[in-house]
Amino acid sequence: MMSEKRKPGDRHLLVNALSVVMILIGALAIVLFCLTVLNDPGIQLALNWTPGDGDAPAPSLLLIFLERFGIIVSALFIGAGGFFMAIGWRLRHGHIRTAYWARILLMWLAVGIGATIALTAFNIFNNAAMDRQVVDWGALVEATAPALLSMLGAAALWYWLNRNINSLFGGEDSLIGRETRLAWNLLIPTLAIFVLVAARPLEQTFIRSLTDKRFAGSAVPQFVGLENYANLLTIRLDTVDCRKSDPDDPCSTRANGSIRWESIDRELLREGYRTVANISVGNEQSLAISGLDDDFIEAIGTTVLFTVVSVALELVIGLFMAMVVNSKFRGRGAMRAIMLVPWAIPTVISARLWELMLKDTSAGIFNKILLDLGAIEAPLAWLADPALQIPTAIIVDVWKTAPFMALLLLAGLQVIPSDLHEAASVDGASPVRRFFSITLPLLRPAIAIALIFRTLDALRVFDLFNVLFGRQQLSMATYNFETLVSNQLDGYASAISVIIFIFISIFAFIYVRLLNVES
Amino acid sequence: MAQPLPRTTLVFGLTPKAIRARLQQAFLYVLVIVVAVYALFPFYWAFATSFKTESEMFQSARYLPRNPTLQNYEYVFGDGSFLLSLRNSALVSSAASLFALVAGSFAAYALGRLRFRGRVALLYVVLSMTMFPAISILSGLYTIVRELGFFGTSLSLLVTYPVFTLPFTVWVLTSFFKGLPAEIEQAATVDGCTPFQTFRLILLPLTAPALVTTGLLAFVQSWNEYLFALNFTATNPSAQTVPVAIALFTGESDMQEPIAQIMAAAMVVTIPLVALVLIFQNRIVEGLTAGAVKG
Repeated sequence: MMSEKRKPGDRHLLVNALSVVMILIGALAIVLFCLTVLNDPGIQLALNWTPGDGDAPAPSLLLIFLERFGIIVSALFIGAGGFFMAIGWRLRHGHIRTAYWARILLMWLAVGIGATIALTAFNIFNNAAMDRQVVDWGALVEATAPALLSMLGAAALWYWLNRNINSLFGGEDSLIGRETRLAWNLLIPTLAIFVLVAARPLEQTFIRSLTDKRFAGSAVPQFVGLENYANLLTIRLDTVDCRKSDPDDPCSTRANGSIRWESIDRELLREGYRTVANISVGNEQSLAISGLDDDFIEAIGTTVLFTVVSVALELVIGLFMAMVVNSKFRGRGAMRAIMLVPWAIPTVISARLWELMLKDTSAGIFNKILLDLGAIEAPLAWLADPALQIPTAIIVDVWKTAPFMALLLLAGLQVIPSDLHEAASVDGASPVRRFFSITLPLLRPAIAIALIFRTLDALRVFDLFNVLFGRQQLSMATYNFETLVSNQLDGYASAISVIIFIFISIFAFIYVRLLNVES
Repeated sequence: MAQPLPRTTLVFGLTPKAIRARLQQAFLYVLVIVVAVYALFPFYWAFATSFKTESEMFQSARYLPRNPTLQNYEYVFGDGSFLLSLRNSALVSSAASLFALVAGSFAAYALGRLRFRGRVALLYVVLSMTMFPAISILSGLYTIVRELGFFGTSLSLLVTYPVFTLPFTVWVLTSFFKGLPAEIEQAATVDGCTPFQTFRLILLPLTAPALVTTGLLAFVQSWNEYLFALNFTATNPSAQTVPVAIALFTGESDMQEPIAQIMAAAMVVTIPLVALVLIFQNRIVEGLTAGAVKG
């Protein structure tokens, strides 16, 4: 097979030619990218902008570049071009290790160009289908011909290199080198998708949070600095007195018994401050928590309350369920399957279903059962009464996820050796004592993981609040959604996203530390 | 064996000890039934409602339909649009989980078995992908979907669903690959396999159970996904998936929500999923425990 094994440093015309071609491809990629940036309509608009056409402020060149291309994509293009050039430069030594890398680069170049061709063709076909027109084959060929030719070129080069790699190049390959190349080859599809649908959108969210961009709008956005964040996070605390009809009277109260407080200063109201909550500090005074965006502050409060209560309830109920299912009885397997049913029902459907069960008349089964049991005297408005909305959301969420929590804990329970319990039982420990001294301590890792996962999930709760309450009761994620989709405030919504992201990252960080990725 | 003392009083022919055991057993079954009712009652309620007439919706609730009828199901299947969204959901979910399996198993093999620089950093990248809420990338994804020309088509979902299916798949499969004994590769290398051959011919068949699990979970996640489907396909009824179709369901009359029909549609969507879950419950529990991810 390997008739003539060459040594590194042994020059060959073809090797030098390949080296030059690789360097050219790299340079071409960088040049093409720069040209695309320069010819972009948005960039052109900013470059050719002349003051005086209307009152619109000058579009920011930097912002348009970040919005249209971004740091990640630019870095990838320049980096890939640079990698091509570096490999091309090193190829002239004739070392087979470099040649293997060149082969990988050529293959993915061909695949990448192929993907763009497929995309162009799809768009031409799709547009034709939407306009009910015949596909313009001429336009198709014209649009894809250069890309098609370069793809064929890259593929041919790859094929040729593949055939001749052993005769043209020499030197030793290492096992580590082989594994590294294979690893990157295997990782490229996943990484490409991550860049496209996760890294790039996240980057855009961060950039947009600093602007006044409108969602799906064509207006040119402007940098507004940290204004969005300032508006979202500004909170002030004031002490206010309670409202009295006469200075000597006690504080006046509402029908439900809560004290009526004076509002904060007129001046503050004019600045946009709205009071979210009053905390009574005694002496007929209260601490008024006010913010510029009272909806968001309230959404944070709602979400945190929802998270803490529902996760705590889920843990207790989940633990109870796990203990029940862990004991021996017939039909244990079926029981585990049954517990997966709430999890398998799509959240959209389960929210709709609970909406039905929680109807505010006796047509709602929940009210009906409670009425029959005598627990309530009149049907409750579970969904419409603001005081009942959060408890309702908690009930629905607990129903859906407590069995799931139970399954996570069950896995932890099953690894506790049963002789521990038997030994304790022989020593006369009561079941309660055994639970607190054996089960709970040994279950701690499983509980920690389940708690953290559920906390992260509950903090970003969306479907449930969206379907059950719409705009009436907002969680952080549904407030984000309403700001983005209903109010079209993309920049402002992005700032909310970033705040949620940071909020959750703090929990995620704790989670990573606890789980220890490398173990 | 020593007989119990003759003085022991027998109740129903049982010794006190046996009675206590029976009582404990009975108590356990009561608890089991409580848990089962807790998990299944809402599902039963949707099932019962789907057979009720529209007028019964306003009367006091009954555990069984007064006049069971199939008219809700007839309505759901009456025009082809619901069937179309079922087909869309099935296609998108299968394609998305297939893609997650192929790309995910490649990446997981690299992360779990191969030695290269940057491995740990990449593991953290994958993990961080599971951390942010989908809403925070919605606006960025909207731009990308528009730029790709996928807006209003099923392809928009196919390209965005890896956001949640892929990190999870990679994560679970990586831990599975790590758990396989190291001797496998050594033996394969001695026999002259290249690393990729080792992966394709030896390791991949060994991970078949984990592949079934993660594939199923990716399918369920994609099938239930709502936010992206709502924003990218709601404008085009022929590309809607089932959750969107149900959320946007308007019945024959505009006056009130056709809740019985919605429940019929919900049954059609949920029963295959529940069947899938019942059949593969062992696998799913394993997968959930390994990845500890909620759908």
